[in-house]
Amino acid sequence: MPEKGKVLVQVKDVCKNFGVTIALSHVDFVVKTGEIRGLIGENGSGKSTVSSIIAGMQPASSGEMAYKGKPWKPKDVLEAQAAGIGMIVQEAGTIANISVAENIFLGSYQKFRKGPIIDKKAMVTEARKALEKIGVTHINPALPARMYDMQERKLIEIAKCMYNNPELLIVDETTTALSQSGRDIIYRIMHEMADAGKAVMIISHDLNEMMEQCDTLTVLRDGVIIDNIDKADFDPDDIKQKMVGREIKGNYYRVDNDGYSDEVVLKADCITTMHSLLCFDLELHKQEILGIGGLSDCGMHTVGRALYGLEMVVDGEVRISDRNVVVKNAQVAFRNGMGYVSKNRDTESLELNASIYNNIASTGYDKNSTGPFINPFKERAYVDKQVRALMIKCQNAHQPVRALSGGNKQKVVFGKWCADDADILILDCPTRGVDIGVKAAMYQLIYDMKKQGKSIIMISEELPELMGMCDRLLIMRDGQISGEFFRKDGYDDRTLIEYMI
Amino acid sequence: MTATSSANTSGKELHLNWKERVDVIRSNRWFLMAFPFAMLALIILIFGGATGGNFFRVSVLKGILSQAIIIGTCATGVSFIYSNGNLDISIGAVLGMGATLGVLAYNATNITPLLILVSVGVSLGLMAFNCTMSVVCHIKTITVAIVVTQIYSAITTLLIGGAGTIDIAYETSSMLEDGGFRYIAFFGYFILCLVVYHFTRIGRELRFLGGNETCAQQTGMSSGKATYVSFLMAGLGVGLAAVFSVIDVSAVSVETGSGLGMDVMLATVLGGMSIFGGSRSNAYAGLIGALTVAALNKGLLMVGVPSAFIQGIRGVIFLALVYMNSERRDLLPSRMQF
Repeated sequence: MPEKGKVLVQVKDVCKNFGVTIALSHVDFVVKTGEIRGLIGENGSGKSTVSSIIAGMQPASSGEMAYKGKPWKPKDVLEAQAAGIGMIVQEAGTIANISVAENIFLGSYQKFRKGPIIDKKAMVTEARKALEKIGVTHINPALPARMYDMQERKLIEIAKCMYNNPELLIVDETTTALSQSGRDIIYRIMHEMADAGKAVMIISHDLNEMMEQCDTLTVLRDGVIIDNIDKADFDPDDIKQKMVGREIKGNYYRVDNDGYSDEVVLKADCITTMHSLLCFDLELHKQEILGIGGLSDCGMHTVGRALYGLEMVVDGEVRISDRNVVVKNAQVAFRNGMGYVSKNRDTESLELNASIYNNIASTGYDKNSTGPFINPFKERAYVDKQVRALMIKCQNAHQPVRALSGGNKQKVVFGKWCADDADILILDCPTRGVDIGVKAAMYQLIYDMKKQGKSIIMISEELPELMGMCDRLLIMRDGQISGEFFRKDGYDDRTLIEYMI
Repeated sequence: MTATSSANTSGKELHLNWKERVDVIRSNRWFLMAFPFAMLALIILIFGGATGGNFFRVSVLKGILSQAIIIGTCATGVSFIYSNGNLDISIGAVLGMGATLGVLAYNATNITPLLILVSVGVSLGLMAFNCTMSVVCHIKTITVAIVVTQIYSAITTLLIGGAGTIDIAYETSSMLEDGGFRYIAFFGYFILCLVVYHFTRIGRELRFLGGNETCAQQTGMSSGKATYVSFLMAGLGVGLAAVFSVIDVSAVSVETGSGLGMDVMLATVLGGMSIFGGSRSNAYAGLIGALTVAALNKGLLMVGVPSAFIQGIRGVIFLALVYMNSERRDLLPSRMQF
């Protein structure tokens, strides 16, 4: 019988600063064997920081840690991995241009060495075993990782992590990138580990998921531990209040049934792409929030990219109706009043090394110019308005975006498109990895845009937000629309799921 | 499970280790702006002391300025290419060929403006060709540069012929020098670069594209257009530097422009710019860096360092600065978030 309840990791008086920003302040807690511990809190509360310190990604500024009863101060991820601590990160953790097998064994090629040569065949065979171990059989480990979508690449990371038989698994905001089948794999692994006397730490903004899966929740706010709550005491309203320090109402979606205009602003006419879509039609109306939902690989992300000119349309066309312009590429889309928030925030929607100022200003070069010259006063006003309106947590607008938390980064992305005042906005998973406070602000923002006469396409893997926000909802399956539903008729999640699968 | 609920967020104190303190200073934007100026001042002071004040003689300073103008003009132009995330090391060969054709045109006609027009025109044309190979044929700019350097140098050698040098009338070069052509042209070009770089849409786009091309394209920016602008701005600078080189020695030779690529790269990083492009780019880096490189070259010579060692010292400084400028990620992909 595996031993449970023994202290595996102890974090004692740990502090972490990024420059003058305090990410963790005197944090103490322990993780015990047989436990699934959830870390919950708003963006910027320190959840990822404390877990990445345990996993050797960065050092603490001060404080001590112990692992299996001995002092723990890993110098890098490899040391932590070797000692039995594995972490699955929120953003992409795979390298696109090397094979799946090479990704899985990154940093430990040594064991496949035969003299000066790496035995790739043996590596692929071993990688296949690693994938099968977590129940994944459809990924070919010999192919480059770029051939797979975000969900599949997450599964590759999980396989990599689990191959080393970790004693402690840290799952950092991973489940929001996964469809239900992917989530089920993670949940199964988590519970198997806990049953085997190992331990799991999970970070997620999905409160329902956390309450279902975790034994204990640790609530963090502004780098400080606010409370530890056992499963028996879970109460969603109490947890929310502890997370944000104020009362959060249960419902933060829109409650109206205002409808939308008949005027079509964007039309996809029988578009076919290299992957996913075959003669796909879509009409977006003025003042409409159009939702597109489905399983992760149903083609909905390709629809968003194709509408904005990022995916090559080999047949058919996307037309902006009132301007009678065919969207051939992203430049045409941008110049004709469209905006796009990518699912891959860090790699596509932001220039991480640039400041908040430069990122927001990037959509306004035309608007803030007098002739060929940029007017610095107009530009400053353009940026400041968004920094204030979105309450971006930063020292000043010249701080590099990479130093911000996930939710604040997403606020910067929203900020640049709000400032742009685009008429048509395509939002691909706009609330992925952000906390309920930021989510509520973004839903309000989306609703305000609708009221201002703008049209929005919202692509999401989270049905509740689609049901809560959209005037019309398209459910996709295998690159086709399998069902169309209207807010005025009411949405029923069971019916929607039936059309998804 | 034990926990401390230290909710006293107002009484937070800082815990910075020395490495983090250095990082804080390093990433401060005022420090980044001041650092190149401090380096220049430091080099001047060190060599001023080491040479017993001889370093401050007018003739020495004039020599430094003369060299700095050639390097600075090229470096200011090339910083456009760097900030767009590209590299081009063919500028020495472009300068050599521009200067040669300019001298040949002048010698054939005796029309002074033709020396300037042909040098600048040829440099613009060659840089446009490099750019076209990259934008249209999708060959990396550095690969194009390596190949065309050989081609342009070979053509220049053929044009100059066996003597290895072609002179121009001394009166012409001294007229251009005494008439202040170099200073007027240089400052005109520098101000143009400064304005384009910091106050126009295309300048901003260049930096953004250098930082994250995918993000920039999704924000409506055109990579091809920006690349052309960066190469043409560099071509204009290299063309002017070609004229300055000819004025400097009243001749063009097969050696004109050789070694310039290294000087320009060193000047750019000494000026505080990252050769990897992106947001930490600016237009004045080239000028400050060029003054520093020229002062370094001259100072080392004056304190008696053999010229072979000078090359080595410059190489070491370059590598050290590139190392310091690099953002090194951890071994495995990760994110830095709090």
